[in-house]
This record gives sequence, structure tokens and C-alpha cells, in this order.
Amino acid sequence: MSGVVSGVVQGGWEFVIAAYSVTAVGFIVYAVSLFARLKEPKP
Amino acid sequence: MQTSKTPYVILILGALLLLFGSYWGLSVAPAERYMGEVQRIMYVHVPTAWNWMLAVIFAFICAIAYLFTTNIKWDSRLEAALEVGVLLAFLLCCQGAIWAKPTWGVWWDWDPRLTSVAVLLMASLGIVALRNFVDDPRRRATWSAVATIIAAVDLPIVYYSVKWWNSLHQQQSTPQTVSSAFHLPLRVNGFGVLFVMIGFIMLRTRIAAMRLRNETAVPQHYEEAGELA
Repeated sequence: MSGVVSGVVQGGWEFVIAAYSVTAVGFIVYAVSLFARLKEPKP
Repeated sequence: MQTSKTPYVILILGALLLLFGSYWGLSVAPAERYMGEVQRIMYVHVPTAWNWMLAVIFAFICAIAYLFTTNIKWDSRLEAALEVGVLLAFLLCCQGAIWAKPTWGVWWDWDPRLTSVAVLLMASLGIVALRNFVDDPRRRATWSAVATIIAAVDLPIVYYSVKWWNSLHQQQSTPQTVSSAFHLPLRVNGFGVLFVMIGFIMLRTRIAAMRLRNETAVPQHYEEAGELA
């Protein structure tokens, strides 16, 4: 079919590392925010 | 106050599963024929998508349960599910953008799947943010429940968007649509994100319940004034 691009994506490890890093950072930062809010003193 | 260690145990279990599943997906599973190494993003992107949808379904159930029972515990659970859903949807969009660049050539496209996810992310974020501006817990719970039910209408659109429209996004990834070599890391990370999500929702529910207790408690200076009177 004309107009369809075909081929194999070369390399790409930097994108894989970026995706896993973003996920890990997101989970860790959210976990830290939860622990901090749980330890907040009551007013 | 609840002091059960269960959420922490579930979180640690989820983290261990994610470590194992990610190790398997990054170093043991083979690269995909056309997408090459970039396809390994699937082992974190697809489990995030599955569990984000579960978080939205749980928020929807909490909203219905609150409207039927008016038990404020359901509102705390709703708040938790919405906030964790926002986190998962945000990560989903980031992972998707990172995967889109080497395969589609762009970071973002106003494709039906991506647009419907972005709409639900913005709606959830809006509800979470606006909850802070309503002081009356009952009013806050009622309108949050109604808004969540309206927002959740977008979820079937997200799911079926790749079937209903000519979407750039690929079809849903299930054991039937991906090679058996990819099943193990996908399933392990699926359970990993599930356990992390459950742990987060349980802890966030505690925070919501603490806030509610503080809002409904009689301030200490009022109590002291009452004793003096």
C-alpha cells in the first residue's frame, strides 16, 4: 500500500530508560508526598 | 486512627513485582520485530493504563456508593481514587509521549485515544483541585460524586476509541494480541502497578479521613471557652 511507512525502529534505549525513569520518579515522589502528609501534625 | 501496616506491605510487594517485571522486560524478553527495543516501554505503559482504568472504575463505584448510602467513608475513598488516578493518567501520558516520538515521529497527536485520556485526566484533576475550595464536607462529597460519574462517562470512550475511530494508537494489548514471549513481564508489572495503586489508595484514604476528622472536630479554643463558660 503506498503511503505506508515500513521499517524497523533502530536504537531507542534512551526512550526506554526515559519512560521507566519517569514512572519510577512519579511513584517515588507520590509515595514521599503521602508519607509526609500522613505525618503532618494535627491542627 | 487506623495504624494497620497492610498498605505498606502491599506497596512493598508491588514495588518488588515491578522490579522483577521490569528486569525481565528490559533484559530477558526479546525485542519486538518492528519497534525494536522501544517496544519495552509496553511493560510499564500498558500496566499503567490497565490500572488507571481500574482507579477510575473504583472512583465511579465510590461515587455511586456515596450517593446511595451518604456514608462519608465513600467520599474519602473517592478522593483517594481520583488523586491516584490523576497520577497514573499523568504517567500514562508521559510514557505514551516518550513511546510516540520514536514510533510516530511526534510527542503528541490529537488522536481519539490520546485526546480522550487527556480529557479524563483534566476532569479528574479539576475535581481533585476544586474539592479544596468547598468547606462543607457533605456538599463537597455530593458534587464530587456527581462530577465523577459525569467524568467517568469518558472511560468507555477511551477504551473503545481505537475501535470506533481510525486511531493512530494501536489496538488494546491483551494476551491474545501480543506474543507469548511478552506475557510474563506484562502480567508481573500489571500486578505490580495494581498493588502499588491499592497501597497508594489505602494511604490516601487515611489522609482524607484525617482531614475530615479535623474539619468536623470542635476547635480546641472553643472547647476551652466552653469549659470556662
